[in-house]
Amino acid sequence: MNGIENPVVFYPAAVVMILCGILTIYLKNIMHAILSAVVVFFLAGMFFYVLGSEYNAIIQIAIYGVAVPVILGVAVMFTNLKKISTDEKRTKSSFLKYLIFLTGGIFILAIIYLLMTSFVILPDSFTYAVPAETNSYEVMNSFASGIFTRYVWAFELVSLILTIIAVALTMFKRKERS
Amino acid sequence: MGEITVYHYLFLGLALFVIGIAGSVISKHVIKVLISIEFILTGVNINFITFATYCDIPKLDGYIMALFYVAIGAVELAVALYIFYLMYSKKQSENIEKYGDL
Amino acid sequence: MADLILDNIYLVLLLPLWLFLIIMLGRFFSVYVNKGVIYVLTLFSSLAGALLCGSALWKLDSGRILENEIPFLRIEDFVINIGIHADRAALIFALVLFLVSFAVQMFSISYMKDEKKSYRFYALLNLFNFSMAGLLFSPNLFQTYFFWELVSVISYLLIGFEYNKKEKSDSSRKVFIINRIGDTALISGIILSSYFLYSYSGNVNFTSLSFVDMNAISTILYAYAPTGLYLVICGLFIVAAAVKSAQFPFYTWLQDAMEAKLPVSALLHSATMVAAGVFILLRLLPFFTLAGVTLKIIVLIGLITAIICSICASSQNHPKKVLAYSTSAQLGLMFLAAGMLNIKAAVAFFAAHAFIKTLLFITLPDKEECWNYFSFILFLLGGLSLSGMFIAGMAAKEMIYLNLNPVVSVIFCIIAFLTAFYITRIALVTSHEYGLIKTMPDKIKTTAYILLIIMNIGLYWYLRTHVEYKVAEPFWAALTAWIVVYILYTKKAFWKVPVLYPLSYNGFYLDKFYSNTVVKLYDGFCSILNSLEVKVFSNYKPVIFCSKSLVKITGWIEKNIIEASVRMITITFKKISRLDMKAQSGNVQSYNAYAFIIVTLILSCLIIAYIIMLSYIGG
Repeated sequence: MNGIENPVVFYPAAVVMILCGILTIYLKNIMHAILSAVVVFFLAGMFFYVLGSEYNAIIQIAIYGVAVPVILGVAVMFTNLKKISTDEKRTKSSFLKYLIFLTGGIFILAIIYLLMTSFVILPDSFTYAVPAETNSYEVMNSFASGIFTRYVWAFELVSLILTIIAVALTMFKRKERS
Repeated sequence: MGEITVYHYLFLGLALFVIGIAGSVISKHVIKVLISIEFILTGVNINFITFATYCDIPKLDGYIMALFYVAIGAVELAVALYIFYLMYSKKQSENIEKYGDL
Repeated sequence: MADLILDNIYLVLLLPLWLFLIIMLGRFFSVYVNKGVIYVLTLFSSLAGALLCGSALWKLDSGRILENEIPFLRIEDFVINIGIHADRAALIFALVLFLVSFAVQMFSISYMKDEKKSYRFYALLNLFNFSMAGLLFSPNLFQTYFFWELVSVISYLLIGFEYNKKEKSDSSRKVFIINRIGDTALISGIILSSYFLYSYSGNVNFTSLSFVDMNAISTILYAYAPTGLYLVICGLFIVAAAVKSAQFPFYTWLQDAMEAKLPVSALLHSATMVAAGVFILLRLLPFFTLAGVTLKIIVLIGLITAIICSICASSQNHPKKVLAYSTSAQLGLMFLAAGMLNIKAAVAFFAAHAFIKTLLFITLPDKEECWNYFSFILFLLGGLSLSGMFIAGMAAKEMIYLNLNPVVSVIFCIIAFLTAFYITRIALVTSHEYGLIKTMPDKIKTTAYILLIIMNIGLYWYLRTHVEYKVAEPFWAALTAWIVVYILYTKKAFWKVPVLYPLSYNGFYLDKFYSNTVVKLYDGFCSILNSLEVKVFSNYKPVIFCSKSLVKITGWIEKNIIEASVRMITITFKKISRLDMKAQSGNVQSYNAYAFIIVTLILSCLIIAYIIMLSYIGG
């Protein structure tokens, strides 16, 4: 049985992922929350691998699994950790909360409807891809050539955004110092 | 437990997305809100890669989109953390409700 | 043929532009704020430009032209090209330009060291180099026009560098406005010739007015256009060149340009701004050679300018004014040489004049200081050279003097006499006025002086070995003038000739003519229009009746319809904003929640609409 269709891989990982996601929100200690978020990100990387794109898996694990938690941890370091427990609670308007849960339910229903109908209304010419050559050398190869041919403008645009952010952050820092 | 189909993966992405939305609205800590936003992005990424694997013949559009989402997400996190740093040095608190004065 | 230098000649253009950008942007991002870095980079760009031009000149055969054009703007089959066109004339002009600006930039390091915003000055100098080099290397008239405008804009910025002083900003504005006449003439000539070629010649390649095809273009125009139109086009080009080079009816702007700082004047008067007119004259010579009248007009303009400006310069007391008039006069001689089709002499005299005039300007005393002996002697040497008795100036002037007809040669001798006269007189008068002291100028200034002297001698050596000339009457006329001036000065006997003195002191009243007649005519025209409106239209009964009834109708409409609807809108928005204010708690998360709710609403609305549509189709 292929890895992509294997329930033994899918169900435990999915359950752990969703549990950890919920834990991240409900844990009081921020460090523990970050740790459980790391588990979620790693599992997402595993799913990417299972789905056949090991390149995305590597990127996901490298950035979200390692780099982002480290930065978040550093950001948490300079806050006052002891104050968290004594944080006073302000009551939020309960009306908004109910509204959110209501709309959340509607949203889930709407998305499920869309997903279920989306494959029904496919055009006749559509064919499913053959999920045979996943994790092969060719995916990597087409990735590399695609970045430089078909997606070159998108790639340049993203790099431009990255550069602008880097410059802007240094500018802010410089202004703040002066 | 039968075979895993497209829908399983899509629902997994949806679940992660909804967890992210809920977390970003409910949680008090700024860092937690940021993590929730990353959850949203990850859920969307899972959807992208699922569709790319199952439906896309050259199998590249979704992958590249997911790649760029990761990059943009990292950038957004950097900016958000800088704003958090500024606000923290101003308010001496990481509770997001205290940041809201217009 | 692949050649490292000839293929990369466009670097000459790009280096100064790049420097301008990094100085201005670097200021913005607070890098490159160190003055030393700016100095070194600016000097480097000029030096690299000079070296590139020099070596390209060395390698380029005399008949060869480096030409590269790409289409920039395409309107159906009409194309405007941009690119690069380097032949020997352009390379010589560019070489002189970069050498002079190297010396001037070196001088201004010492001169501008107390200035606060000197970074802007250096950026503008670099941009000036860029625009002038672009003009020299432009492959067609359209690109020439672009850089022509850029040159006048930058000269405006440089002359008005201290824009908070009123007289400086005023004079820079005047320079800009007078230059506008030339710009208008140039673009009119370009449009006329291009339009004619587009309509009547079969070949669409000619409409881009490329310099390579200039012979063919002028032949076609001469053959097919009516003679009047051809003369008008030539006349427009001559007017453009005359305005830029400060020739006869328009020379007044150069005297206003003396408000600029010394380095700026040195650049403006030698190789950059005024050279553009001579250069475009040389480039468009195929146009003028076909109609002999235009050549005669050019010679006439040159002679009139030379003689009038020499007379004017003889009575001025301010050294910068004398130098300004002398620039006009020497450019008149260049016009004369160009009109005589003596191109070699024109280019040689341009180079010699650029080096000499820069030397003269930067050795002038400034800021109420005493004049030191070193600068004074250099000024005298420059004056000797300018009056045609010494090194480069002598050779170039004698080159022009060759093969002139008798009348012109007599006038030429008179001009040479006057040149020697005013330059010696002003040297002596200024030294008397400021006083001479025995201090040396600082090291950087001395380096700049020595560089310029080396350039002068190098040019002289080149002309001596490569061109033939003979020492003739102008030399002796100038020598006489020097002796006369010295005798007059020692006896303190500069008398004021009754008619000539006031005429020449006021620059033949041309400036006053402009300010009194032209400006007043314009004012009168405006006041006539004004009175026409006040007296005629406001008293004409039907007009008044119509306008009054119109006002009544519009008033009613405004009160009853527009105002009411506006009030309704404001009230509605007020109510909405009251509602909205409750939502604006400032809490990020509630915003997030609202956004989510709205997205969900839209999504579900879409889905419901989709379902309804499906049921219709299916049913």
